[in-house]
Amino acid sequence: MEQKISELRQKASEAIKNAATNLKELDNIRVKILGKKGELTSILRGMSQLSAEDRPRIGKIVNEARAQIEALIAEKNDELKTKELSNKLASEKIDVTLPGRKINAGHLHPLTLTLNRIKEIFLQMGYTIEEGPEVETDYYNFEALNLPKDHPARDMQDSFYITEDILVRTQTSPVQARTMESHEPNSPIRMIAPGRVYRRDDYDASHSPMFTQVEGLVIDKGIRFSDLKGTLEHLLKEIFGKNAKARLRPSFFPFTEPSTEVDVSCMMCHGNDANCKVCHGSGWLEILGAGMVHPDVLKMSGYDPKVVSGFAFGMGVERIAMLSYGIDDLRLFYDNDVRFLQQFK
Amino acid sequence: MQVSTKWLKDYMKIDISPEELAEKLTMAGIPVENVVRADEGLEKVVTGKIEKLEAHPDSDHLQVCQMNVGTNELLQIVTGAPNVKQGQIVPVALVGAHLPNGQKISKGKLRGVASNGMLCSADELKLDIENLPVEQKVGIYILPEDTPIGVPAKEVLGLDDVILEFELTANRGDCFSVFGIVREAAVLTNQTPNLPKIEVKEDDESKATDLIKIKIDAPDLCSRFSSRVLKNVKLGPSPAWIQQRLQGAGIRAINNVVDVTNFVMVELGQPMHAYDYDEVKGHILNARRAVEGEQLHTLDDSNRLAKGGELVIADAEKAAGLAGVMGGFETEITEKTKTVVLEAASFNGASIRRTSRAVGLHSEASGRFERGVDETKTIRALDRAAQLLQDMSACTVCKGIVDVYPNPKSEVTVAFTPEQINQRLGTEIETDKMIDILQKLGFEIVSKTPSAIKVKVPSWRNDVSMMEDISEEVARICGYDNIPSTLPVGVTSQGHQSDVQNFVDRIKSVLVTLGMNEELSFSFTNPTMFDKMNVPADSELRKAVPIMNPLTDDYPLLRTTLLASIMENAARNYSRKNEDVKLFEIAPVFSPKALPITEQPIETLKLAGLIMGRREDKGWSQNSDEVDFYDMKGIVEELFDRISIDKYTVEVSEHFAMHPGKTAAFKKGKDVLATVGEIHPAVANSFNISKKIYVFEADIKTLLKYTAKNFKYEQLPKYPAITRDLAILVDKNIAAGEVKKIITQNAGGYFKDVTLFDVYTGEHISDDKKSLAFTIKFQSTNRTLTDEEADEAFTKILAAVKKQFNAELRS
Repeated sequence: MEQKISELRQKASEAIKNAATNLKELDNIRVKILGKKGELTSILRGMSQLSAEDRPRIGKIVNEARAQIEALIAEKNDELKTKELSNKLASEKIDVTLPGRKINAGHLHPLTLTLNRIKEIFLQMGYTIEEGPEVETDYYNFEALNLPKDHPARDMQDSFYITEDILVRTQTSPVQARTMESHEPNSPIRMIAPGRVYRRDDYDASHSPMFTQVEGLVIDKGIRFSDLKGTLEHLLKEIFGKNAKARLRPSFFPFTEPSTEVDVSCMMCHGNDANCKVCHGSGWLEILGAGMVHPDVLKMSGYDPKVVSGFAFGMGVERIAMLSYGIDDLRLFYDNDVRFLQQFK
Repeated sequence: MQVSTKWLKDYMKIDISPEELAEKLTMAGIPVENVVRADEGLEKVVTGKIEKLEAHPDSDHLQVCQMNVGTNELLQIVTGAPNVKQGQIVPVALVGAHLPNGQKISKGKLRGVASNGMLCSADELKLDIENLPVEQKVGIYILPEDTPIGVPAKEVLGLDDVILEFELTANRGDCFSVFGIVREAAVLTNQTPNLPKIEVKEDDESKATDLIKIKIDAPDLCSRFSSRVLKNVKLGPSPAWIQQRLQGAGIRAINNVVDVTNFVMVELGQPMHAYDYDEVKGHILNARRAVEGEQLHTLDDSNRLAKGGELVIADAEKAAGLAGVMGGFETEITEKTKTVVLEAASFNGASIRRTSRAVGLHSEASGRFERGVDETKTIRALDRAAQLLQDMSACTVCKGIVDVYPNPKSEVTVAFTPEQINQRLGTEIETDKMIDILQKLGFEIVSKTPSAIKVKVPSWRNDVSMMEDISEEVARICGYDNIPSTLPVGVTSQGHQSDVQNFVDRIKSVLVTLGMNEELSFSFTNPTMFDKMNVPADSELRKAVPIMNPLTDDYPLLRTTLLASIMENAARNYSRKNEDVKLFEIAPVFSPKALPITEQPIETLKLAGLIMGRREDKGWSQNSDEVDFYDMKGIVEELFDRISIDKYTVEVSEHFAMHPGKTAAFKKGKDVLATVGEIHPAVANSFNISKKIYVFEADIKTLLKYTAKNFKYEQLPKYPAITRDLAILVDKNIAAGEVKKIITQNAGGYFKDVTLFDVYTGEHISDDKKSLAFTIKFQSTNRTLTDEEADEAFTKILAAVKKQFNAELRS
């Protein structure tokens, strides 16, 4: 009997080790040995014929054999499962170099992106963002800014007129006059006015009859030209990077005194290329106009130039976007070719 | 304005390069746009005499010249020019020259004969050839007989000069002259100007006042009119130096009298005019307004009709010229002129500007008058002109001056304190330094007390009248570079933007997430756009705001609808084979309160969107279907969800530019939130697009009105929901939205939501029917519902749809 069990153990062990190459075979072996009609089960059944003293001993041997075989089966079972899984995974291999499924998100217009950046810079400095009508009266567009009729400086801004006294605004500065009027006289103002403006310029690579401008105005007691300089330097560094330098040149605008034209150092060649296509070798690029608010402008909007002073500045968003993104033709902004629009992020 | 540096050097010492001078002037508010070197390319061009001229042994048209170029040996040069003769002096380009036209000169042989240079034509030297005789234009440029031999050609041609081209600002009329630039340049380079002494000998016995009468009928347009009379005038060419100075200023020499008036204008900034005295009828000149329809015969020999109100200078019979803009034909200086009346006047800038714009003529003179001339200095200009003509023995000068100056300009003084200046600039400039700057610029210190400095503004500075102007003078001469950088101090404020601005930003970011690209288009449109968009003849949209002076006929109106703009952009993309387009724009449209326009139009902020082409980008595993109506509608629904607009209805609608069966309106009561639809094929066709296009349009203010101001989250359900599916057959023309509405209305208190998950027509269903399948969800917030409760609600819903739509339950 014992001999029989030992042989069975040996046989089962070998069968499990060698014969079983998949889970199904392993199960067959289990049934054949441990199943209801299995070989070990039938030995167990034959135990009723054993003597009472042999029964516990043989019973123990059978149980041990059973446990051993079960353990072997379990071990083999794990081994086969692991193998099966790895086979399954191997068969699932895909071409990971195929492109991912495209998510079709859209894009903001480059001028909106640029303007958002400018707005963010000024919001952080405590400026409000003001707006006003695009069709303006001659008064707000010109006269309230110290530009009476027939002033030669009006030539700088050839206008589209609707009537003798109504025009599409040539600048967003009318918003400044309107904002001052809506404030308590002499109360502090920090604002920018972004928006569309219109000038009677031919449509070419650097001009457009409609473009986008941001004007700024700060009024308070004791505002100085040096404050204007510091503010604009901060702005240009924020937009064009820490190495950007500003150069202020005296200029003339009827609404400011003193006035200045502001250049930014060329971000393409940094002044090192005499043939630079962007700055033409000068190393500087005109970027905005600014100055201390003219006393007449303050007076016309109910502010007292003896009590407060202020500075104002204006810049073209297209120009800044062109320089930031290296765009060489302004018309691309209004052409709205989706291949262009989809590039900006 | 352009000025030759030679002319500047006549009156001051310049020991820096023209480029450095230009930089200094620019940085002081006198912008130099370009520094032009007239002698560029003339380094190796000298004058040479043709000592001997022989025919080329091997050519019919070539000649061999032996040239004396001032060296010991003669230089052999072969030329093909027909106009050369022995003994002539001509410009010779030596070997190594790199001419202004780009040509490089090297040693060579022409048909076997050695040639060591080239004889030059005017064109090859880039000379101004307009006034040259024909043979000089085409052939070699022949120099005068007395030209020295072997000297640099640029010297005899007057090209050894550097020209500064200024782009002066409108306020600095005083810099429109050599004197003005010298004054600024001297301050900036620490030099003392050495201006010419202006004096004239009145060597003619006749008295000017006996010869000519001056009258000002329009003193508001002509504040001063001064005049001198010159007799025994000998007309002829000006001396070379005057011609060269004028050439440097970009003015062509004409004759000595005209040249001198131009010379004085450039030198002193005072425009002048010369009249032929004998042609001035009645020997009177009157500055008066033109009468409407008056004939003006100007010196370009054209007859102009006065609009009325322009300032003219008239004699006893008629207008003799448009003051400050163009002289008259009859009184022009000619060969016959014996006696000349010189005019130096001050005309109103605004009036000159209007006239010059009206006749389309901007002259050196009109530009100066527009910016204002120094009316206290008219006589200096007359004297200078008389002096120059006298120096060339071209006239005698009559005694006295005829000067009408009804309201002499009063002196302008400005009081300021150094503290005010430093406070405005944010600087600490010393008082002495400020005074020094002002004095060098011609300001006189009237008084100086601890409380204030009072200065007299020089007569030529009509742009300075207050402390702020003084601050600019100090700042620009000290240099803006030397002003510190600070940030404003004071009460800190909170940056913010308006609700509308925030709302617009939010809409843009949602639409971008939904795959839409933002476009920006012009606010202009034209009437044909209304036809293309199928706008009805009586529509308000056709009543657009007209522009008085449009750039071209393409854009004479302000737009009344964004849809036309977005269609134009779609069409442009389509024509470039960009057939998959998703665009949106937020911009104002303009509607007049009345036509013709009397007040500012109403500006309404609109949102428009457009999609066409593929739903997804082309790709190996992407959906390649084209978008349809429900894509556009889905974008609008998602947008509304994201901007917290809900409980709206969607109704069948109509729109002139849209497909009659594929147009819907999103509504809140009577307010239309958005109109969505397919572009009418006829409209698409008028834009040359043969693809289906879907659009929507909305009004920002209306959307803002319905956006929920506050958003609160909804608790997650604690108890499970029960769902029931309802599949019914209804008539094909019944709108699913209507069925959904009835389901919602009859679903009882535990109704949660309803989803339409299938629409089916086709096999197994009769042709006039469709199948709609809904999932209806019931849920309670405080307990688990029973099946019986759900069944009860479902039964009611079924009864309602049966009753309302004659629906049959599908099994």
